[in-house]
Amino acid sequence: MSNLSTKIKLYAKENGVNSVDFLSDVKLQDDGSGAYIKEWNLDIAKPTDEQLNSYEDEANAEEALNTVYSDRRSEYPNENDCIHALLDGGDTLTELQAKRQATKLKFPKP
Amino acid sequence: MAITTLNNRSINRSDTASADQVWTATSATASDFQAGGVNTPAFRAFMNANQELVNSTSTLIDQFGTEDFDTNSDFASNRFTPTESGKYFVYAQLAFTNTVLADVSEFALTMIYKNGSELVRNHADPKDSAQLNQAACYIATVVEMNGSSDYLEVYAHAISGTGSSNAPLVGNGTNQSFFGAYKIIE
Repeated sequence: MSNLSTKIKLYAKENGVNSVDFLSDVKLQDDGSGAYIKEWNLDIAKPTDEQLNSYEDEANAEEALNTVYSDRRSEYPNENDCIHALLDGGDTLTELQAKRQATKLKFPKP
Repeated sequence: MAITTLNNRSINRSDTASADQVWTATSATASDFQAGGVNTPAFRAFMNANQELVNSTSTLIDQFGTEDFDTNSDFASNRFTPTESGKYFVYAQLAFTNTVLADVSEFALTMIYKNGSELVRNHADPKDSAQLNQAACYIATVVEMNGSSDYLEVYAHAISGTGSSNAPLVGNGTNQSFFGAYKIIE
């Protein structure tokens, strides 16, 4: 099941709002029984549960893709390694590109 | 706090020593100094299990499963409901940490709620949406409690950098994530 915040972002985007600040625009809360909308401050109408649920598949797909990006980032060479490889070139750069490719294969996109 | 008794001799606030007179406590013990007042009710609890948060959602921390002390049994079900009215010093700390691989939060917020509404907050927000590997947010304040229905809870809010389903996490341990309060002497 996808996060409520992901579904709200998709709903907002479809209604012309490209960015949602979850500390001011929309406040979500979970008191132990699941997340709910505590405060809605966007100019567009607050969505119904039915409207939000219609984004379930899309939200799941987006979160799955973001998880892949997250997993890949954890194993990609770090910035320093990249800079050195670019400056050194040659085998160092080739090896770094091979590591990046191996990480992509390890965590394929859904 | 005024000393009211010395060697069983009552001392009034208006008492003053006469000229050339020195009051000496020749055999005073701690019990002779009745400072008056105690800092109770008081409690301290800590998380005995990690708690995964819901991304971008203010989430009740419900893993304060171990009590270091709870003088009046006022802490139960992650909620402090003091049975004496007055002002209380309340404090909490939550240790945010990465959960799955590199999916860590970009923003971490600790909040104390009174009666279901936010009372005070503290946050960690690194520059330019950089990600937090670990961050401990400590928070404290003084709050008036009615001694009957008023209650305090701790909430956390974290925003995942990637927006994946891998939610940030609050780590357990007595030196990591804890919640406490005590009545202050007025």
